[in-house]
Amino acid sequence: MIELQDITKVYRTGSQSLEALRGISVKIGKGEFISIMGPSGSGKSTLMNIIGCLDTPTAGEYVLDSDKVAGLTFDQLAAVRNRKIGFVFQNFNLLPYATAWENIELPMLFDGKNGRRRRERVTELLNAVGLYEWRGHRPSELSGGQQQRIALARALANDPPILLADEPTGNLDSKSGEEIMAILTDLWREGRTIVMVTHNDHIAAHSERTIRLFDGQVVA
Amino acid sequence: MIGIFFRNLFRDLVRQPLRTALTLSGVVWGTFSVVLLLSFGDSVSKAQMKRFHGMGQGIVLVFPSRTTLAWQGFLKGKAVRVTPETVEAIPEKVPGIELISPEFVGSRLISYGRKEFRNTVRGVNPEFELMRNTIAGKGRFIDAEDMTARKRDCFIGDVLATDLFGTEAPVGRNVLIDGVPFLVVGVMRTKLQNSNYNGQRDERCAFIPWTTYSSLYGAKYVSNIIFRPRDLGRSKAVMAGVKGHLAKLIGFSAADPDALGVWDTLDFERQFTTFFLAFTVFLGIIGSFTLLVGGVGVASIMRVVVEERTREIGVKLAVGARRRTILWQFFSESLVIMILGGLVGFGLSAGALQGAKAFPAGGFTDFVGVPVLNPLVIVSTVLILLAIGVVAGMIPARTAASTDPIEALRK
Ligand SMILES: Nc1ncnc2c1ncn2[C@@H]1O[C@H](COP(=O)(O)OP(=O)(O)OP(=O)(O)O)[C@@H](O)[C@H]1O
Ligand SMILES: [Mg+2]
Repeated sequence: MIELQDITKVYRTGSQSLEALRGISVKIGKGEFISIMGPSGSGKSTLMNIIGCLDTPTAGEYVLDSDKVAGLTFDQLAAVRNRKIGFVFQNFNLLPYATAWENIELPMLFDGKNGRRRRERVTELLNAVGLYEWRGHRPSELSGGQQQRIALARALANDPPILLADEPTGNLDSKSGEEIMAILTDLWREGRTIVMVTHNDHIAAHSERTIRLFDGQVVA
Repeated sequence: MIGIFFRNLFRDLVRQPLRTALTLSGVVWGTFSVVLLLSFGDSVSKAQMKRFHGMGQGIVLVFPSRTTLAWQGFLKGKAVRVTPETVEAIPEKVPGIELISPEFVGSRLISYGRKEFRNTVRGVNPEFELMRNTIAGKGRFIDAEDMTARKRDCFIGDVLATDLFGTEAPVGRNVLIDGVPFLVVGVMRTKLQNSNYNGQRDERCAFIPWTTYSSLYGAKYVSNIIFRPRDLGRSKAVMAGVKGHLAKLIGFSAADPDALGVWDTLDFERQFTTFFLAFTVFLGIIGSFTLLVGGVGVASIMRVVVEERTREIGVKLAVGARRRTILWQFFSESLVIMILGGLVGFGLSAGALQGAKAFPAGGFTDFVGVPVLNPLVIVSTVLILLAIGVVAGMIPARTAASTDPIEALRK
């Protein structure tokens, strides 16, 4: 359960300050599939980063599964990012020198899972995204769609109940995009909460509900 | 994880070979300096201590002098006179003395054939040998029978032996001391000696029984007393006992500071030890500064590495790495560089010290000894290396660990 109450985010650069989010209140229930839409610069990524515990709001309250996020320490937030929330980025953010296998394994290493469990889970995920044969390749040797599937597998490594995807298909052709969407839809059917940012109405059509942002505010 | 770690490290080290070489060389050179300076300091200390022990080990020298306080009707300035019999009887009255010998000293003509030298002759008893390290290399030292029979036997220093006899074997031959024939019974084993009193160094002296000395030359009062306390730590207390005993017996104030001149070599040795410890520590500090420069190099290179890998740090934080995971990653990388440099530095210095062994003994090595890689040097260097490595590694690692994930991902 994700509850945002009056969330504000102000960026200060030098003497200038920019209000990226102004009083956002949103509730996302368990098992929902939400899409967030809005023009460029409307604050979608800023909002996703706050939901994903990567960034902190300037004001307002964020309650995640009855925990006030503002009260958590850095390492507690790291644990949330590690186990509770999987994050998929528009630009994949894979480690360039690590293989597909190692990239997927990373969150499990930080969780201290043992070698056998890691091997089993990485194998399972690689098969699920259909890239087992590519396990030894580095991101630079994979296509964009393949890289995003690896990133998705990484986000699922510790089997988090919540999956956040910031324009997961933004850098992909429509076929690769549809493949990713098929996987996301399956994951939602399995019971995961999914929040996805997109510019594309076809992509947004996969979701149950759309939240529209304009200039840092929810418009619908 | 381990695999990734080493691949990472290897990648960082290999991608910029010149940078790696420069960083490593700082640590290598620093370690090399610390090891060499410490082992040099250590060997100089040991060599000097050995030379100091050349005069004797654990001994107290007592020189009867003149009183400087009036005492029971005597004016000050009275000569303190001690007979050799009094000296040998001291242990019966004063506890805690292991060895004691009276000593007469005089300069006399010693000749063999046509060779003649004016050298120091010392009249002593057999206990002198152990106290003063005048160990027999050939033959023997003065013995008990020489003493009781007042034999005209003499024991000579190794340099005097070569001066008189050249290549001939001295033991069993006769020399003349002030025209009186003496049988050479032994030659001193060569030793290094950097301290001395009353006359020439032992290598040029002749040693004869004090009984012979006093009957032959009519000497009644010893020029000095030499003793070794049983417990070396209690030399002060034993000396106070000796002084009190002699004061009562001979008649001077036990509080008189100058009636007996005292050279407590144990006291001296303690100062000597402290001085050379300070000397070695000083050298170690100089070396540490060199190593510190190497450490600064590692720290600044690691700063650059952290900067280059900000994005990687961001990704790791985003998928749940804790601060200490990031901290440890960069800290251990710095430490590996330090250890690598340290190992090479140790290797090089071990080679250099192996080379130092090739210096011939004698001359210069008598003063500085032969530096070796002993456990003390190794342990000190490793500790210095670790201390500097921890500081040098911690600074960039903390920078890395305090990265903001969002800022890092934007890079
Ligand atoms: N670190 C930052 N410092 C200053 N301003 C920022 C920072 N991050 C975002 N902004 C500003 O905040 C506003 C919202 O940015 P955000 O990235 O959330 O938009 P977005 O809706 O995700 O846009 P896009 O569709 O282009 O990804 C923008 O005006 C952006 O310039
Ligand atoms: Mg965005």
